[in-house]
Amino acid sequence: MAKKTYDLLFKLLLIGDSGVGKTCILFRFSDDAFNTTFISTIGIDFKIKTIELRGKKIKLQIWDTAGQERFHTITTSYYRGAMGIMLVYDITNAKSFDNIAKWLRNIDEHANEDVEKMILGNKCDMEDKRVINKEKGESIALEHGIRFLETSAKANINIEQAFLELAEAILNKTPGRDPQENPESVVRPDRRNDRGTARQCCA
Amino acid sequence: MVHRIMAAYKARLLEFDALLKEETIDVGRLRDLCFSGVPDEGGRRALCWKLLLHYLPLDRTQWNDTLNKKRAQYNHFVEEMVVEPARLSKNGSGNNHVDDHPLNPNPESQWGSFFKDNEVLAQIDKDVRRLCPDIMFFQRGTQFPCEVIVNDPEVERLHRRVTHSSLTATAVTRKGLGITKLEASNRRSAQTEDYHPLPPGSEAHWEVVERILFIYAKLNPGQSYVQGMNEIIGPIYYTFANDPNIAFRENAEADCFWCFISLMGEIRDFFIRTLDDSESGIGAMMERLMSNLRHHDHQLWNRLRTQELRPQFFSFRWLTLLLSQEFDLPDVIRVWDSLFADANRFQLPDPSLHSNDGIAKRCYAAERFWLQYENSAALPSGGCPGTAQQSH
Repeated sequence: MAKKTYDLLFKLLLIGDSGVGKTCILFRFSDDAFNTTFISTIGIDFKIKTIELRGKKIKLQIWDTAGQERFHTITTSYYRGAMGIMLVYDITNAKSFDNIAKWLRNIDEHANEDVEKMILGNKCDMEDKRVINKEKGESIALEHGIRFLETSAKANINIEQAFLELAEAILNKTPGRDPQENPESVVRPDRRNDRGTARQCCA
Repeated sequence: MVHRIMAAYKARLLEFDALLKEETIDVGRLRDLCFSGVPDEGGRRALCWKLLLHYLPLDRTQWNDTLNKKRAQYNHFVEEMVVEPARLSKNGSGNNHVDDHPLNPNPESQWGSFFKDNEVLAQIDKDVRRLCPDIMFFQRGTQFPCEVIVNDPEVERLHRRVTHSSLTATAVTRKGLGITKLEASNRRSAQTEDYHPLPPGSEAHWEVVERILFIYAKLNPGQSYVQGMNEIIGPIYYTFANDPNIAFRENAEADCFWCFISLMGEIRDFFIRTLDDSESGIGAMMERLMSNLRHHDHQLWNRLRTQELRPQFFSFRWLTLLLSQEFDLPDVIRVWDSLFADANRFQLPDPSLHSNDGIAKRCYAAERFWLQYENSAALPSGGCPGTAQQSH
């Protein structure tokens, strides 16, 4: 029998308007590279990256989706199996931010109730084209009780942190998988602290 | 050996030339020849594709008439759907709509439709600026820009319409008592550095593709623009815009438009969400692909099934984009020679119809083609989901 190369498998999903940088975020995380001219994602694609958290090998299966409405029939069928969802907007594109509400409704409709969510304001390296300030992102996240980070796939800001934070949140919820660990004693990652880091990077 | 290959190649060129010189072109013969690949030289491919996509009639004597008529019609579309609205937005009022203005709530308002179009345009603009990034072609200037657009300062270019539509915000911060500071600078960093618009008088190839897609969306308001259509236009436009025959190259835009219209006529249902589960939609197509696979290669079908590799992960994109995102452009073009040459090019047979006698009586070329591809294809970029990677 093939030996398992990981302890846990987490399924993550990237959603958000087209052109906000979902594929670039994924590519930065999985291959540590950036390319400004990515072809548009049609339908659904995925990448795999194994990370280590608290001594556990966690295989992340990350689904990348097409942003346009047309593909929703295909993409929403993946919401159900996702343990974590990253909702991405583009800080230089107001429309993509306005649509967060629409994407959140999609999550409510199609995903598991206990799915871990995270909002990412991408392209935070493009300060001169910014139209959504960070406070707006923070407040919508706070309002819905969701984690938030500003990221830049191009400048490699907060990308790894975003995935690790989401994976950690899911790990905290998976007590049954690990008998040695008492879930109650697990310390949740300090979000305020993370935001501090983000601010530093993006200033 | 080299001589023999060269001689065979020359014979093949002559075969194409002889066929294409006939007064009425034998479409069966044309399909046979093209299925094995059209030679790159002499604009033969561009000509063959125009025939296979039913843009040029098989009767050669009608070619000039058809081309003149179709190109004039396309130019008329450009004038009506691109140039006139652009003048309207630049001058602040339409030629014959004196009462119209940007805040006019009337649904008939030219301004109303102008803003609505900009939403579609914004999506097209995003996608054409990431078309075939592996080659430099689409970022370069075309030899034949649309003169009225690039030379008339009164005519606003399409991509300018969408950069205009979002206002730049200026963040105001307080510094001490009563002193405010404007934080935003006017310096603009190019988001997609390579796909920048060219200066007045010239136009990049991606701008031409943007115009074709925009006009298509205007003419087909029910379907409008769907992501992926850019990938369908790309190889056709590339082939036509590189035609060594200048009379054809000069009209690459109009000819490409009509070939795209014709091709979309056959595959448009794949792009329509409401048809996903209908007989002609992408869902049924994926099902047929899988039942063909099950019939012809049960082992592979079973492997995909046990590994939970659903057809949506790979075949949705293959079928919708006609494999254009799976290979480098030159290979896509070669694959399309065979695909366009197939009389049943976008259909997959129902294997249950001929499975009883054990022999597939009708083995369509398309079926062979899709299945061969499926057998040799790499799986999606991440490997197998849901299971640990297995060694072969």
